[in-house]
Amino acid sequence: MDLPTLLILAVALPLVAAVAGLLAPRRLAEVLCYPASLATVVVAVLIALAVSQGQAPRVNVWTLTPGLDLALAGDALGVTFALLASGLWVVATVYSSGYVRAENLHHRPRFFMFFAASIGAAMGVALAANLLTFLLFYELLTLTTWPLVAHKQTPEAIAGGRRYLVFALSAGVALTAAVVATWQITGTLDFVPGGFLAGRVSPAGMAALFALFLLGCGVKAAVFPLHSWLPAAMVAPTPVSALLHAVAVVKAGVFGCIRIVAFVFGPDALRDTWAIHVLAAACAVTIVFGSLMAIRQDHLKRRLAYSTVVQLSYVVLGAALLAPYALAGAVLHMVNHGLAKITLFFCAGAIHAAQHVENVSQLKGLGRRMPWTFAAFTVASLGLIGLPGLCGFVGKFYLARGAVESNQLGYLALLLSGSILSAAYLLPIIRDACFGRADTTGDAAHGHGEATPTMVVPILMTTALVVVFGIVPAALAFQYALASKVAAQVFGVIP
Amino acid sequence: MTSSNLPVLLFLVPFVGALACAALGWQWRRLPALIALTFMAITAGLAVTGLAIVATRGPLRTYMGGWQPPLGIEWVLDPLGSIMAALVGVLGLLTLAGCAPSIQQEMPRRQSLFYACALLLVSGLMGMALTGDLFNLFVHLELASLSAYALVAAGRRGAPRAAISYLFIGSIGASLYLLGIGFLYAATGTLNMADVAARLSASEANLQLTGIVLVISGLGVKMGLFPLHVWLPDAYTLGPAPSTTLMAPLATKLSAYALLRILYWVYQVDYLQHHAAALQVLCWGGALAMVFGGVKAAVQQDLWRLLAYSTVSQVGLVALGIGLATSQSLTGAILQILNDAVTKAAMLTAAAALLSGLGIRSLQQLPGLVRSHALCGAVLVVGGMSLLGIPPLPGFYAKWYILLAAIDARQWAFVAAILLGTLATALYVFRIVEMLYFTTHEPRPATRATGSPGALTTTVHAVALALALAAIGLLNGPMVTSLIIPALPRGLP
Repeated sequence: MDLPTLLILAVALPLVAAVAGLLAPRRLAEVLCYPASLATVVVAVLIALAVSQGQAPRVNVWTLTPGLDLALAGDALGVTFALLASGLWVVATVYSSGYVRAENLHHRPRFFMFFAASIGAAMGVALAANLLTFLLFYELLTLTTWPLVAHKQTPEAIAGGRRYLVFALSAGVALTAAVVATWQITGTLDFVPGGFLAGRVSPAGMAALFALFLLGCGVKAAVFPLHSWLPAAMVAPTPVSALLHAVAVVKAGVFGCIRIVAFVFGPDALRDTWAIHVLAAACAVTIVFGSLMAIRQDHLKRRLAYSTVVQLSYVVLGAALLAPYALAGAVLHMVNHGLAKITLFFCAGAIHAAQHVENVSQLKGLGRRMPWTFAAFTVASLGLIGLPGLCGFVGKFYLARGAVESNQLGYLALLLSGSILSAAYLLPIIRDACFGRADTTGDAAHGHGEATPTMVVPILMTTALVVVFGIVPAALAFQYALASKVAAQVFGVIP
Repeated sequence: MTSSNLPVLLFLVPFVGALACAALGWQWRRLPALIALTFMAITAGLAVTGLAIVATRGPLRTYMGGWQPPLGIEWVLDPLGSIMAALVGVLGLLTLAGCAPSIQQEMPRRQSLFYACALLLVSGLMGMALTGDLFNLFVHLELASLSAYALVAAGRRGAPRAAISYLFIGSIGASLYLLGIGFLYAATGTLNMADVAARLSASEANLQLTGIVLVISGLGVKMGLFPLHVWLPDAYTLGPAPSTTLMAPLATKLSAYALLRILYWVYQVDYLQHHAAALQVLCWGGALAMVFGGVKAAVQQDLWRLLAYSTVSQVGLVALGIGLATSQSLTGAILQILNDAVTKAAMLTAAAALLSGLGIRSLQQLPGLVRSHALCGAVLVVGGMSLLGIPPLPGFYAKWYILLAAIDARQWAFVAAILLGTLATALYVFRIVEMLYFTTHEPRPATRATGSPGALTTTVHAVALALALAAIGLLNGPMVTSLIIPALPRGLP
């Protein structure tokens, strides 16, 4: 199959599966996700292979309005995100099958259908060739994940869904304004490595445009003070929190920030403007504030959500430092955080399904009853903290090197202290679970106590990825090659 | 420039149909619907044919009785008029056919009168789309309006009061318009649009200015432009469901079209650029309408009143597009006329299916409907998404073009108004979606016998309209190139 067809398939497969799941008999919706997710990841790998060999596939799918096409393209940054979203969708599908049974979730076809649709939208965001296509799928992502946030239909879920909508749609409006203004000013919307706005906009207009763009992408990237929807969205079923609110949706925001900084404005246009310093400072505030909030949370998923808030700002900061190593580090950390965080959320879901606890204070002694789960939790936590040999290290190392390279040593200190803070909110969980004394009152004695294999096996799979990506980042799945290629494209320097 | 009888036929066919309904419909209960739908189908067929002919061969003209203007009355089917005529024909047919079961259910004894009024409305709207004469436009505006008053008055309790208030306010609007063209006649000595346009620049400035102010105010009332919209919510809520379903998509939009026609074909771009204040007023009315209408819609409990305020808000976008006076903004305004017309037709037909099938008109009654009325729910969602401007539905493109124009003109207040209006739209659209799909409910006793066979017919038409909406969105590119750009007035920046 030729590459343009593959690009279309990568976006269309999940969306078609979603529509088919809606129309098909109830049981089929879940079954359909397996072949669809496998096919999507195969397509994504084929595109990534071609891109890493230097090809630049592109296809104009449809003319929306004269001069503006719905166009898909594969570049190093896009396929990295596409691989991440589609690859983890396979794992998340297996996990979801276990989860919906263990938690006795209602409206399962709706759940699986919108899950598939969200992935389709995320693939569209990843492979968008221009800002308009990006905007289209970005909005679609909002609309397809909202039913998942409100899925449980409890008042709390509906409130969380409303908050999500208000934040995400306001951001969409800001992004629309920014895209329209860009089109009006430049007459082009195609992403160009190194940006296309330089020299075409006055400094004041540039600042206003940058603010609008960041308002648009910053909400999904949960940059302070636009982050508060994310903890509220934790009311969603755990597979949603795991894949969408740790990987697909929030990474779409982060991905958008990288696109805006590196492929719309460009490092040269932004260097030494106060706008980029404001963004970097906002990320710094987010890292400190989010970590402190995470330490205070007793609800496990909310603690992990604040941890996501922090880690996303690492990635955005990597883009905002405007240095080749920092950008490569941002791309690497975008993937690595995804792997570690989905594992942690999977563990949280398994703990809730098997032991019906959701607070950190109730975890004491559970490590002995759920050894596999907590082993995975430990590995993923250490990976997130950035222990060498696990996945988080590589990205953070590059980010730190980027801070040195761009001579912004304050951010180096921040990155390092951020790691210590993340240890402060993750390690106590493991300490309590493994060494704490079990609370013997109540319904504590459940025998073995692991969740069902359909939940544990996906956990172990993502844990294995956390280890493999830490040891051989250059060998597997072209991840390292793609990240350095992004930096090379944008800066013209190979890190 | 070809001479043809088609422009006259387009408004005569529904007119004769109306007479036939009134004359023959007393005898047999099923006959009025049959006559009306046959005549409507012929009208729609003619209108679509006209659209195709005009797109390939250029405008068609008819001189009534062979008299040339300025003595005779001129009818023109030009690119813009043919789009509007096709819109009136197709939407009129689909909504009327979709509502046929509700008409039978709501007013079994007055069907012939209802259909007669409906066809007169269509005839009036067609005439507005096609006439080349300012006074004739008034005649057709009043033909449409008088039938609209009657259609509203046929409703439930409170409808006669709403109709009277609609009649008073509407008549004030019509009088203002008539006064306006009086000033134009005084200035130029003719009422033919092309002749007025040719002689206007040589005439007295005060007469021109008074004329434009009166015309904008008069048509502003008819199109429900904020703050002249006060008749609209009651009329569209209290009138019978079939009336609203027929009127709301078309009547306000055709008045907006008439305003567009007079501003850009009679006064023309050059005049408007030198008298920007008039257009500024239009822009501000539109901008305020978007926000005000959106917020009012978001707090309604009644689905029909919600959609009525939504119309106020959406017409505001049309006014803004007309007022910004660039080729982009007018493209957006025409797209928005199409978008709101088709969207409202689809949503109101779905709402009519819910009303006739289950007796539901309040948002509070929506939970749990998706099991039995999945299609109606889906149509409401698709329509809502188009109002919101989610690509690739047509609402997106309308907003896109008008936003482009507002940014180009550096009118940041209007940019903000469009964006705020969009957020307000999101509020009411997602209230509907949340009620339909995410609110748990207790089983409720059916207020009417469920599963009335007519509801299915209505639902099918609602789905057809929603599919048409999606098609318009997907075909936006070719449509703008081949239909809308040729329809734009000349001399625009």
